[in-house]
Amino acid sequence: MEQVASALVLGILLGCLYAVLAIGLSLIFGIIRVINFAHGSIFIVFLYLGFFLWQFWGIDPYLSILIVVPAAFAFGYGVQHILIRPMFLREKAYVVEPLGVLLLLAGLDLVLSNGCLLGFGPYTRAVTDSYISGVIQWGFLIISVPRIILALVAVGLTFGVSWMMNHTDLGHRIRAVGQNREAAAICGINVHHVYAIAFGLGCAVSAFGGCATLPFYAIFPQMGMSLAIKAFIIVILGGLGSVPGALLGGIIIGVVESVGGQFVPGTIAIIFSLIIFLAIIFVRPKGLMGTIEV
Amino acid sequence: MKQSPRIGALAKRLRRGQIPFDRIVISVLLILLVIIPFILKEPFYMHIFIMIFLFGYLGTAWGLVGQSGQLSFGHAAFVGLGAYTSTIMFLNLGVSPWLGMLVGAITATIAGAVIGYPTLRLRGPYFALATLAFCAILQIYVRNTQYLGPFNLGSAWGLSVSPFPGAEGPAFFLFGSKTPFYFIALAMLVGIVSLSYLLNRTRIGYYWRAMRSDPDAAESLGINVGRYRFMTFLMSCALSAIGGSFYAQYFSFIDPTGVLDLSLSIQIVLVGVVGGWQTVFGPMIGSFVITSIGQLLRAQLGGAYAGLHLVVYGIILMLFILYIPRGLNAPVMRGLSWLETKYWRPSRNANNEKVGRQ
Repeated sequence: MEQVASALVLGILLGCLYAVLAIGLSLIFGIIRVINFAHGSIFIVFLYLGFFLWQFWGIDPYLSILIVVPAAFAFGYGVQHILIRPMFLREKAYVVEPLGVLLLLAGLDLVLSNGCLLGFGPYTRAVTDSYISGVIQWGFLIISVPRIILALVAVGLTFGVSWMMNHTDLGHRIRAVGQNREAAAICGINVHHVYAIAFGLGCAVSAFGGCATLPFYAIFPQMGMSLAIKAFIIVILGGLGSVPGALLGGIIIGVVESVGGQFVPGTIAIIFSLIIFLAIIFVRPKGLMGTIEV
Repeated sequence: MKQSPRIGALAKRLRRGQIPFDRIVISVLLILLVIIPFILKEPFYMHIFIMIFLFGYLGTAWGLVGQSGQLSFGHAAFVGLGAYTSTIMFLNLGVSPWLGMLVGAITATIAGAVIGYPTLRLRGPYFALATLAFCAILQIYVRNTQYLGPFNLGSAWGLSVSPFPGAEGPAFFLFGSKTPFYFIALAMLVGIVSLSYLLNRTRIGYYWRAMRSDPDAAESLGINVGRYRFMTFLMSCALSAIGGSFYAQYFSFIDPTGVLDLSLSIQIVLVGVVGGWQTVFGPMIGSFVITSIGQLLRAQLGGAYAGLHLVVYGIILMLFILYIPRGLNAPVMRGLSWLETKYWRPSRNANNEKVGRQ
């Protein structure tokens, strides 16, 4: 019983790690209607950036947020502006879901993840000292402090993004473009600029969470795709385009993996998430908190 | 002797330009490919050709889904299911892989039905993501499982397809040289391209064209888009699994990193995209380009620079999507028709439909 309870808490914390990826992914999908296939490897690239800032200049991961997040925003802006915009200009206006963009981003994913493998080798790396470390013991629960901070970051990012979408001028513009590209353009919104901002924001949000992950999570080049696949499952579970849904979905998948891992071997617990994924597509394709009709 | 008047008539028709150019191109190519193994005896070149045919086959099988307007990132899963089913049946039950191939196709079809049924009803990225997730999770499962019931799955170590007493020789899909594999692979490629070509001329081919250009319009004309996509996907799964069984017999070794890996899916996708996905002959053309480059690159680099060939693949994929989105199929077909008008006498058949025209 105690084991299950502690697995539950650990699952929630693990889910928050998945959720930071899923929030960025969902944000991008909600506006541009494109699944960022390369999200996992972009995440890894900025984890490496944070790691090397720590290794060479001794910048703590929590402090390197100030560098990594703007860099991720600029990178995302560039990807949308240089790579994806030509695709949108080429497609007919009413084609919302170009499969070509998915293939393009799959190519980007290959380049980034294998570029990391080529450049940094297959080694596992971890930040070994950080401002914040240690564990909290509360009854039978033993939880490391950086994991709690990541959970707070994930919740904070969810609320922050939702607040920005609802209460700032930029957020209103982003939502307008997400709802109707042509109408937004008629109202004088620079659609491609907003798309690029949305892509940049999606990458920045995930990189923010990534910096909070670094103090307790070892990184290696191939982990991008396995994290991304979980993020894909989570965004569909939570609802494509819904940011709070991404947090909820992340926590559900984290709990399933962690608690399920108590009863069956871990590999079978992963199959549970596939079953949940197929079941939710079957029963409710727009996801738990989704608003986009399919 | 009886043949000579026929050959004479053939030569006459050839001189008059009465034989369609397409048929001549295809015959010349086929004759060349049949002669090659007798000229090139070097096993390395034979291997390259076998890989070209195998990936052309897998790319065309994948391309069927593309022709129906969907995108699968998980075809390695079905290749792997085919390879594992025939190998497990061979090693444990002594069933000939020729038969195991068909059982593998059935297994892959069942798996495809589970993945495809919920997702193919929907528009959007659901199908692409579901196939990707299925492939990744199947790989994790096989990598960590030693025994599935009474059968040895081999986990991460893989299974080697070695003959044992009472199970050897051609009846068990085991050959001493590469030449039989060459002809089997060639036959598979010719078979699947002909299948794709013929399907394109039937009702389902017209449905594909309607579905991929505008699924909603196709639906409003009475085509059950979800159902036809589902059927196409099942066909593609079964054909991919047959390719997987061939892979297992040819390499006589399978492991989760070889047949269930995302990089195999990506290679299949790349072959299709470079040649022109959503075309009949595209994946075959793409395979001639990409597989030969990939094999030579691998031979040159050996084991050094892990991941470099995938970086190159990624760059090629991006460049093709950005600048040559319709693939090499269109320029190749244009080149052929240029040759025809330039060097071939315009004939009565000149207005016939060009092969693979979109």
